[in-house]
Amino acid sequence: MKKKTRKSLIVLLSAVMLLSMLAACSSKNNDPQPTTTANNAGTTPEVEVTEEPKREEITIDVFSMLSNFSGEQTGWFAHVLKEKFNVKLNIIASNLEGGGDIKFQSMMASGDLGDLVVFGDTDSKYLDAIAAGMLLDWNKDGLVETYGKNMLQYAPKALEKNQAQFGGGTSIYGIGNEVGPESDGPSEAQELNYHPNLRWDLYEQLGRPEINTMEDYLPVLKDMQELQPKSDSGKPTYAFSMWADWDGNMMMNTKAWAGMHGYEEGDGFNPGGFTLVSADSEDVQGILDEDSYYMRGLRLYFDANQMGLVDPDSITQNFDEAVNKMRDGQLLFSWFSWFDDAYNTPERLAEGKGFHLVPFNEERSFSNGFNPYGGNRVWSIGSKAEHPERVMEVIDWLYSPEGNMTANYGPEGMAWELKDGKPVLTALGEEAFPSNKTPIPAEFGGGVWDDGRNQINNTTFKSTMINPDNGDPYDQSLWTSTLAKNPTKLEENWRAAMGASTAVEWFVKNNKIAVQKAIYTGQPYVEMSDDLKQKQGQVASVIKEYSWKLIYANDEAQFNKLKEEMINKAKGLGYDDVVEFNKEQHKVVFELRKSS
Amino acid sequence: MNPVVEPKRKRINFSISLRYRLLLYAAPFLVLVLVFSYFPLYGWTYAFFNYRVGFPLFETEFVGFKWFTSIISNEYQMQEVVRVMKNTFGISTLGLITSIFPVFFAIFLVEIRTNWYKRLVQTLTTLPNFISWVLVYAIAFMLFSVDSGIINKLMIQLGLQSQPVNYLASPDHIWLKMTLWSIWKGLGWSAILYIAAITSIDQELYDAAKVDGAGRFRLMWHITLPGVMSTFFVLLLLSIANFINNGLEQYFVFQNSLNKDTIEVLDLYVYNTGLVGYNFSFATAVSMLKSLVSIFLLFIANQLSKWVRGESII
Amino acid sequence: MKQSFGDRLFNVCNYIVFGIFTLLCIFPFYYLFIQTISDNSLSASGQVTFYPKGIHFNNYVEVLKVKGLSNAAIVSIARTVLGTLGTVIGSAFLGYLFTKQKMAGRVFWYRFVIITMYFNAGIIPWFIIMMNLNLTNNFWAYILPAIVSPFNVILVKTFVESLPEALEESAEMDGAGTIVLFTRIVFPLIVPIVATIAIFSAVNQWNSFMDTVFLMTNDKLYTLQFVLYKYLNESNSLAAIIRSGQGMENIDLSKMQTSTSIRTTVAMIVVIPILLVYPFFQRFFVKGIMIGAVKG
Repeated sequence: MKKKTRKSLIVLLSAVMLLSMLAACSSKNNDPQPTTTANNAGTTPEVEVTEEPKREEITIDVFSMLSNFSGEQTGWFAHVLKEKFNVKLNIIASNLEGGGDIKFQSMMASGDLGDLVVFGDTDSKYLDAIAAGMLLDWNKDGLVETYGKNMLQYAPKALEKNQAQFGGGTSIYGIGNEVGPESDGPSEAQELNYHPNLRWDLYEQLGRPEINTMEDYLPVLKDMQELQPKSDSGKPTYAFSMWADWDGNMMMNTKAWAGMHGYEEGDGFNPGGFTLVSADSEDVQGILDEDSYYMRGLRLYFDANQMGLVDPDSITQNFDEAVNKMRDGQLLFSWFSWFDDAYNTPERLAEGKGFHLVPFNEERSFSNGFNPYGGNRVWSIGSKAEHPERVMEVIDWLYSPEGNMTANYGPEGMAWELKDGKPVLTALGEEAFPSNKTPIPAEFGGGVWDDGRNQINNTTFKSTMINPDNGDPYDQSLWTSTLAKNPTKLEENWRAAMGASTAVEWFVKNNKIAVQKAIYTGQPYVEMSDDLKQKQGQVASVIKEYSWKLIYANDEAQFNKLKEEMINKAKGLGYDDVVEFNKEQHKVVFELRKSS
Repeated sequence: MNPVVEPKRKRINFSISLRYRLLLYAAPFLVLVLVFSYFPLYGWTYAFFNYRVGFPLFETEFVGFKWFTSIISNEYQMQEVVRVMKNTFGISTLGLITSIFPVFFAIFLVEIRTNWYKRLVQTLTTLPNFISWVLVYAIAFMLFSVDSGIINKLMIQLGLQSQPVNYLASPDHIWLKMTLWSIWKGLGWSAILYIAAITSIDQELYDAAKVDGAGRFRLMWHITLPGVMSTFFVLLLLSIANFINNGLEQYFVFQNSLNKDTIEVLDLYVYNTGLVGYNFSFATAVSMLKSLVSIFLLFIANQLSKWVRGESII
Repeated sequence: MKQSFGDRLFNVCNYIVFGIFTLLCIFPFYYLFIQTISDNSLSASGQVTFYPKGIHFNNYVEVLKVKGLSNAAIVSIARTVLGTLGTVIGSAFLGYLFTKQKMAGRVFWYRFVIITMYFNAGIIPWFIIMMNLNLTNNFWAYILPAIVSPFNVILVKTFVESLPEALEESAEMDGAGTIVLFTRIVFPLIVPIVATIAIFSAVNQWNSFMDTVFLMTNDKLYTLQFVLYKYLNESNSLAAIIRSGQGMENIDLSKMQTSTSIRTTVAMIVVIPILLVYPFFQRFFVKGIMIGAVKG
């Protein structure tokens, strides 16, 4: 009896599933079957009977190495694209946890990278893709001349650079992101990236003591810790709470100190190695040099830990935890302007509590200059694209003022509108930007704000660049209308004390900024040999491991012993070779900086 | 059940002998194995070149055994590899030793007379198997973190500690700790197999033994245990072949710089040096070496089985 | 039969020990569950430990709103059911065949199948083979490679070999063909092991997503695990770029963080269907009713 019911149940289940699968199958059959060539990655020629028979609806496969999202683009952005261009976007994301570039490799192996390809860097993947013929040449058949008018008008240098650097002077294989105007000065909006932000309210309570060097923060932070020994939920406060999951070639939270002195990993052109390069001078430090900012940073953390300022869980937690602690009010120091956004909620800001810049006298914070040549996150078109001109149209539109505004903030009239020629947030916009789950009216595409956002996740123009259509920068936080709004209490206090309205302004006014200028070069950067890469991987592993150990060393003696071990091991595994290579490449960049 | 030999059966009988008929039945499945597992092996040739994906192989440079020797090319590297192999050895050995635990779990579980309790325990103990290692670490962090960890708070309250201890960052007894986590996660699930094996043991054996006056422990020792042993040995010897493949996820989430020396097993080491992400040839070379070692171990284990138990497993 | 004192003591210990271990297994799961229904900021600051605070179900509502979830759920169910059927039938039958001493080249072919557990040539060659077989963007890619699972084959073979030979021999003498032998005689006797490999295979199918990552670009073929996995790992692309030392322009905190609440909610959503289906299989391998009988 039981056997029979079980059997019939199984049969029933499978029948149901078979039916549902067939149903799914038949809807799949609307797309052309995967044929013997894996090239039809998805263009669907459904001919729509509309008033414009000349434009079929097509689906553009976007393979983006920056995107987090996989699937069809929905919401207001999809609506705009459909209305304007009659296209749909199918986004294929490449990023895998710990999987490296395997997805990219498999796409390469299949011979088709999709229609629109967005690269995270112009590294060997990009070069290989060009060499293997996977990317379309924009000069072929006058593609860019006919369909790329906006790019030619607004970003001509970026096209030139790609042609010279990657196209052998004759072909264009894409265009870089973050294209800016040809001006000097920092390109950031209100805050730089490396920012010693402290709890401003506590700092004021202490009477705003002067801070000369980076080490001078420690006694101030100790005092602050005594003022606020517990977080909002009753946990002990710390100055520094760090995380290990972003460490690449070295410990990231330590590298931040170098950034505050104007030194970055890498020179803006070559990929990072084990050197710290000055933004605007020809100074280069190896991170294991005796007095490098990296070693100074490690020493600082060691001393801080001895003083009880370092979160003991830093070594075992990940970034999410650190942000939670920040949000809870457990931390007193932040290296990155965006890190303390978790704490700076409107409620706290209104009370005058929050994080803001507290600079030190030796500081020369690193800043990226404007780059008219475009960055390394390239937009390109796959060579197997069936409708390259349609893809080009979309890219081109994104490189126009109207397109850029729409891609970032939605079409005019939805979240923003023009008043007296200047952009202003509408009521919907005011709500949408902070909350992200605000529902969007059906006429604009429905869904919520967040869903509708552009999921390709790459930029075209630098957001701080001035929009030629209305004179305000693209970035919403810099619009005249936004700046005219009443500042929060915290903001007021800070401005009164520092004599500037934003952090960037203060840095520029007081000449404490190191701007790294963009360079123009005719060649791609020199890639490391595989042997050297192997060495780099092993040395990086050692450096990261010992960096953390040094911070938590029990005493001076152990600190020095570990330091010696680290240096010996790193050198034994080839640290010097890598650094030498890095320095060679930096020399090239220094030459180019002179001429740019 | 008295079938008459029907004439139509002769149709099959005379064409192919039983020997080959059996093979014929197996053939479609063997073809599947061939296609999905053996065909991709052509990729092993990539290990001998500087292969770049997207380019045809004959255009790439032949480098022979370069990638294989690069693993141990200098003294420091040798030290690293030795260290890593020690960790792998330690953890795998502990794993093998504790692989008998699910057997005992199953044997004792079936001794529970209350049916609903037995089934409840069996279901609930499989829960940890479904929690990914990332979430297991989140739990571990909640339990053992310095500031807010439950264990630390408890220990201090009970007076067993004066200060919080950073359990997660400690390099002591890492192998043991990792093994304990593995056991917790896998015990209930692995026991399913043995429970199934016990279910198949013929009830008559038990009845006969009870009639002879055997008590509960006698029954367990002489009937239940042998009933599952054949399955256990097969699995044990198969695990020996997996000695160097510890897997990545568990050790990845628990590693930090203070325990790295002892937690870094081979798979994690290979991942940490970051090369398998983009150096395809190197990754293939490593994978090839591991496969060869595993197969070698498999045949050794089989030989052991022949000597000790008189039968081979494969 | 009277229970001796030793027996009773053993019973009590048994119950207690299992009870403790079960609690050890339940509590972490329970802990994760209450995080998902508690107020998110309380959960994030670690204040929810033994009971939920600020109960809400928004996390589930949020995750269930993820695009393409319903289609992905159907795909997952379909592949689980069909894949399990395929694996059970294929691996069980093959395992049975390998018990036949008479099969030509038996040892060789058995080893042929088994050693595939220990090697793999990497994802790219596998992907190219799949591509050449037209199995990219094709539902059957979820089913076909799983049909022969060497581990399951071993289990079935071991099991069948432990059955008394007399059983098969008598049926063979009556003229039963191989397939009849398998379906009518052997299969009913190995129900527990079949149930076991069914549950192993079903869980495997339900949880797998790597094949979706590489083989599918058509979002109608995405599985539940894949859609949820993608949803969870939104922060990773930026983290990867930071790790490569390229500088940290334009970082938006909201894109960088994956709240643990969401991650846990996703884990719950994936596990709960399994827990619901599990008891259906359980009664086949937990000892209760004896199955089959051997008569002389």
